[in-house]
Amino acid sequence: MVGTAHPIVAQIYNAKTDPEAADAFIGQYIGFIRSETVKFTHAAPEDGHEDELSIAMLAFYEAILSYERGRGAFLPYAARAIRNRLIDHYRTEKRHGNVISLHAPAGDGEDRTLLDTLPDHRDEIGDYEARSASQQEIREFGEQLGRFGITFSDVADNCPRQDRTLAACRRVLDHARSHPELLDRLVASGRLPINELAADSGVEKKTLERHRKYLVAILLAFTNGYEIIRGHLCQLAPAKGGSAT
Amino acid sequence: MKYLVMETHPAYAVVLDEEGRFLKAANLRYQVGDTVQDIVELRQPRSRAPAAWKPLSGLAGLAACLCLVFFGWYQPNYTAYGTLRIQINPDVEMTVSRTDRVLDLEGLNEDGEDLVEGYSYKGKDRETAANELVERAIDMGYLSGGETVSITVNSADADWQAREEAQVRAQLEARYGETIVIRLGSDPAPEVTPPQTDPPEIVIPVTPPAAAEDATDYGDTDYGPNADGATDYADAASNADTDYGPYTDGVTDYEDRDDGSDDGDDDDDDSMEDDRDDDWEDGDDDDDGD
Repeated sequence: MVGTAHPIVAQIYNAKTDPEAADAFIGQYIGFIRSETVKFTHAAPEDGHEDELSIAMLAFYEAILSYERGRGAFLPYAARAIRNRLIDHYRTEKRHGNVISLHAPAGDGEDRTLLDTLPDHRDEIGDYEARSASQQEIREFGEQLGRFGITFSDVADNCPRQDRTLAACRRVLDHARSHPELLDRLVASGRLPINELAADSGVEKKTLERHRKYLVAILLAFTNGYEIIRGHLCQLAPAKGGSAT
Repeated sequence: MKYLVMETHPAYAVVLDEEGRFLKAANLRYQVGDTVQDIVELRQPRSRAPAAWKPLSGLAGLAACLCLVFFGWYQPNYTAYGTLRIQINPDVEMTVSRTDRVLDLEGLNEDGEDLVEGYSYKGKDRETAANELVERAIDMGYLSGGETVSITVNSADADWQAREEAQVRAQLEARYGETIVIRLGSDPAPEVTPPQTDPPEIVIPVTPPAAAEDATDYGDTDYGPNADGATDYADAASNADTDYGPYTDGVTDYEDRDDGSDDGDDDDDDSMEDDRDDDWEDGDDDDDGD
């Protein structure tokens, strides 16, 4: 039975664990994803259905992750996953059915949309600078994670999903922040001092080991630099402080 | 909730939410460093928990198979369902399963033990074993022509018991019926009621016709070359009173007819004539043509 499996199955199993293989695989089947989207939207994705295409791609990726050999041929499975996801998307979007799009015609006789009638408070240059600064910081952060052999995809896969586990990880983070020497050791040695963290924060060692990649990422974010990331996370600080005591 | 886009892939983006979670979400044309508000989060494939039910399902399947084997094959074949007792002079009891498989065989008296000894009943069914036992009894001299074999079937299942009795009897009768008498334990004792009372049981050995001549009338024929001239009819009192042929006595013995024809008898029961049934009466008269 293994011998008769379609070569696509091997690709899928490879893509499940390797993000790059997944990207390549999705690139290979982008035509399929497009066609499935068009079957649903009855319009080309370029005609204002870019979101649907993105969601279809996400659904395709989900299908890769959830596919198993016993579930039959992959492509019909993925087609069904895409269709279901798009139906879900439409149902959530229907909630905003009574909201007028900013891109709707303004109706004042001129050829402009509602968006154009709004006063523009945005600071384009400031936004651009802020974005490039955060891009720069995130790139550096990614590079440092790369030195630990970790990618953002790994971190996302490794992220605790249960609130209780997330709270435990936050306790570890609080403890590490109050003992900066632990953070320094992490940066210097490239290893997570699991034993000390577990002993001092009162979180089980097994939990730490299970979420090692996530902890490395979140602890690294609180080492020197990374002001923007920390600024993004700062809102959780008081709640975290409250829960830690 | 705001999300900071950390990494983008064709199919998804990795975003960081404000609580420190790293999430995968649909990449709606995000760029690294964007802060976005509404995301379409990736649904993690539910990790199926095979540990909970898979071994159990195997176990359940195994148990079901065992039940099937036990109730469908072992119990009907290998558990005692009833006993079959054969009494010739040797007294033998067979323990039989529901499917007529002989499970045990024991002699209940000395001759029975003698008969059973050295006889292997393993894997034989009731029919074979009963036949062979009778055969053996004949060979060993316990049973000879005209003797009675008594069969008793005992079981908690009355239907099965009756069926089994009928089968055993039919089978033994078909094979040995000409030489021996098969009697069921549930029938009345044979000594008091010899074969005449119970016709299905009567098995009269016809093989030696000469020996049986005095007992039966078969040889005494009135037809063909062997006719002896004596019809024996006159012997019987009931046969003497005939109204036909040379032996007629003129007395018909018939009851007087209950009709309109007047035969002159005083005791004629003509009460019907006075009845309301005049139509019937008239019709009857016409038919008679009197």
